[in-house]
Amino acid sequence: MAAHQVRRSGLTMPVVTRRFVDHAWRRGCDFINLDLEDSVPQHLKAHARGLIKDAIPVVRKGGAEAFTRINHDYVHADLDAIVWPGLSKVNYPKAETADEIRLLDAVITRLERERGIRPGTVEIGANIETAKGVAAAYDIASASPRVKEFGGGTGYDMSRDLGVEMFVGFEQFAYGKGELELAARALGLEVRAAPFVANTTGSVSDADRAFREAQAGRRCGFRLGGGLNPAVVEAQNRGFTPTAEEADDAQWVLERHRELAGTGETWIAIDGRVIDRYEAARARDTLEWAALCAERDREKAEAVLRTRVAMAEPAP
Amino acid sequence: MSARIRRSWLVVPLSKAEQIAQAPRSGADVIALDLVEFVAEDDKPAARARAQAAIHAAHAGGAEVFAQVDPELLVADLHACAWPGLTGVIVSRLESVQQVAEVDELLAELEARRGILHGTLEIVAALETARGNHAAYDIARRSPRIRGLTLGRTDLIMDLRPEPSGEIHLMPYLMQRLVAVARALGVTPIGAWWRAPARGLLAPPDDTYHAARRGRAIGFAGSLCIDVNQVEPLNQGFTPDAAEAAAAQQLVTAYHAGVARGVAVVEQGDRLVDRGSATQALALLDLAAACAARDREKAEMAARPLLALP
Amino acid sequence: MAILVRRSNLLAPITATERVSQAWQSDADAITLDLEDGVVETRKAEARGLVKEAIDLAGRGGAEVFVRVNATLLHADLEASVWPGLRGIMLPRVASAAEVAEAVEQMTALERRRGLAAGALELIVLLESARGVWDIRSIITSSPRITQVGLDESDLACDLGITPLPEHDPYVYARGRLVIETTAANAQPIGITYPLGVHPRRSSAAEIHRMATDARNLGLKGVVCPDPSWVAPVNAAFTPTADLVAYNKRVREVFAGAVAAGTAAVPLDGRMIDVPVDEWAKVVLAMAAACDARDVQKRAARAIA
Repeated sequence: MAAHQVRRSGLTMPVVTRRFVDHAWRRGCDFINLDLEDSVPQHLKAHARGLIKDAIPVVRKGGAEAFTRINHDYVHADLDAIVWPGLSKVNYPKAETADEIRLLDAVITRLERERGIRPGTVEIGANIETAKGVAAAYDIASASPRVKEFGGGTGYDMSRDLGVEMFVGFEQFAYGKGELELAARALGLEVRAAPFVANTTGSVSDADRAFREAQAGRRCGFRLGGGLNPAVVEAQNRGFTPTAEEADDAQWVLERHRELAGTGETWIAIDGRVIDRYEAARARDTLEWAALCAERDREKAEAVLRTRVAMAEPAP
Repeated sequence: MSARIRRSWLVVPLSKAEQIAQAPRSGADVIALDLVEFVAEDDKPAARARAQAAIHAAHAGGAEVFAQVDPELLVADLHACAWPGLTGVIVSRLESVQQVAEVDELLAELEARRGILHGTLEIVAALETARGNHAAYDIARRSPRIRGLTLGRTDLIMDLRPEPSGEIHLMPYLMQRLVAVARALGVTPIGAWWRAPARGLLAPPDDTYHAARRGRAIGFAGSLCIDVNQVEPLNQGFTPDAAEAAAAQQLVTAYHAGVARGVAVVEQGDRLVDRGSATQALALLDLAAACAARDREKAEMAARPLLALP
Repeated sequence: MAILVRRSNLLAPITATERVSQAWQSDADAITLDLEDGVVETRKAEARGLVKEAIDLAGRGGAEVFVRVNATLLHADLEASVWPGLRGIMLPRVASAAEVAEAVEQMTALERRRGLAAGALELIVLLESARGVWDIRSIITSSPRITQVGLDESDLACDLGITPLPEHDPYVYARGRLVIETTAANAQPIGITYPLGVHPRRSSAAEIHRMATDARNLGLKGVVCPDPSWVAPVNAAFTPTADLVAYNKRVREVFAGAVAAGTAAVPLDGRMIDVPVDEWAKVVLAMAAACDARDVQKRAARAIA
């Protein structure tokens, strides 16, 4: 499946914490998710809204995309504060109905027009965090063309909605994850998913664990990352990027598959390994993804260099 | 259970004369003559031309015969395969209700033209894409010809890969969902619980047996396979073994004895046995008997001489 | 909204007179007098005649009293069961909203005839077919009387064509769908982890406790107990412990302090306490309070029984 963007790593951070925002560009993330929701105390939310417009270019200095997570209950006030040039995506928590997404779409459309943003630029991340959301998954995911990724079905809020503890060491959310992923795939959206890895610690800063999870995800064909702690950024960038060996192997597969043409065979086994059109498709996908990652990394490196020069900082 | 016993569905490419010739000796309950997955595009016309004779030959070992057809090439594929002797078609990558309607109509036409009793050609819907799986319920009830649902080679077509645990990502969910949809509509779920390193219905015999047994444990009645060495393992995995049958018989006997005493819940060791358990045990004994009957039938048919093509 | 505390629901076959008369001593939150699978065919008519008196007997310790009726003998069973003191009906083998409607119609008429408050009787619905699992939404949203929904895994095994193996749970989809759809409909999903639902047995209190805890962590809210020995470990598994309550009270205090000081997160014992953690603390404390209230109620009832 063609990736529409490279989003291997990203940090969600409270926009009210100045030093997080100022240093975000140094983290090496593919995206920064400025938070107006759970990491911003209630009494600071109004103040937080006022900070987003200026924070967008600041967090983009290292080449990261800028996202914002808004509050479920303050759609109009939050959107008004955040839809500015430079914003790529609005993350909407606890989505439960298609109507909610349609409303977001309508408001964003108006704001894009009023503020000189190319129509359709701002994506909607419809985050499913309740049982009601799972029950309406397909309708939610298909409610707007701004929804380009979909999946999930786990996490703190889902656990609270179902009344379950987290980190109990077994798969608690198989049905919800399955429903969301099937909807995503049926609609041709990028899939937010991961192989099940038992987690009994709930740690958010374990880089080794983050790498292993990202690698396991990539091997299953998934590419979307993100987190709360800078310690996992490099691990996710590395874990979600094909290695040179994998790229070479993909080339080898494509060459073997080309040799089948005209033989009347649709598959061949080489040293017990099957080569057919499916392996070839995977190989092509790997090479495309590797190229996208390389381009993204170059883009980020150039942005970082420009920023250092502008700040008259010496190279590290 | 009145459904036919179809534990093993051996996929045989219509481009491979030798495999077609070997198929009757495979012991498969069903031979699935393939025009889709294993026939190169350029070889399809020749493969179609072989279909009628292949259907006849496949019968010789007592197997039922299906043909696997491409929903984008329906007219050509169905014309090639809808002959007396064919039980039905597997429609690969079936995605929409409209496609079902198309197949249904074409089959009706061909039945009329070729002296096949109307409505008897069955459809097995192979749901191998996300859209097909999502629409499973609407697809499966669109035609009374649909008697089976399968995931086919979903793992390859949807690019679902092995997880560190050995499970193929998303397959456990898709399998159990397919079983629920199929049984809700009274049609048979076909498949097995494949795990890495199984790939696209292909696996070594031992792994195949275990995939079949696990498949039976979640509601599948039979599975497709690629290699002739997978047939016996599938037959065995989908047949209750002697130990299971003996345990089931014991349970039924204990339950009936309890009922005779006026007791509706009987203790078997620490287990609490009630009507539900007894019903399960009886269903298992019925399945064992039906499997035995199918095996006898196949043996008898294999012993008969091959009838000449009319 | 008040939290429904119905952690354990003990099945007592109505013709097992000793089981019925002793049920109240088990400390179950609910007792279901069984006219269905616990009673042999030849005694079902006799069984109906025992219900009225059994309701009072079973309710002595403060348990809610239900009756599980036969789907195929619905009218006669409901006629025999709706009396003052009944909390509700456990309706098995439900495969459609129409079946719920049929039961509700008769229950409504019986409430009127027998002096119960209109709409007082609850429904616990059991699904045992693939059809029921697939159509769960239309079934469970068809009546506000439905407060709990479960799977009859034994009958469901037959309907799904399953030959169960203990090491492979065939109900992940069905149970997951039960939890999501029932929670979304603001009712409670009930059940126990595999394979105790399809192969119920007596077991150690530790094992029942463990499996009930896993069931709780799958989102289930209570367990239908086929045996009195299940009740105590099930109650315990669904009740927050004193330690857990103390910890979560501390979480709430600490987080309130953080908010007052203007931040949204604060460390406590090596863990970051933020909005989601505080929200979960609220859930635990509310559940603890509700369980406590229920236990107090039952103790009071037992004291005067």
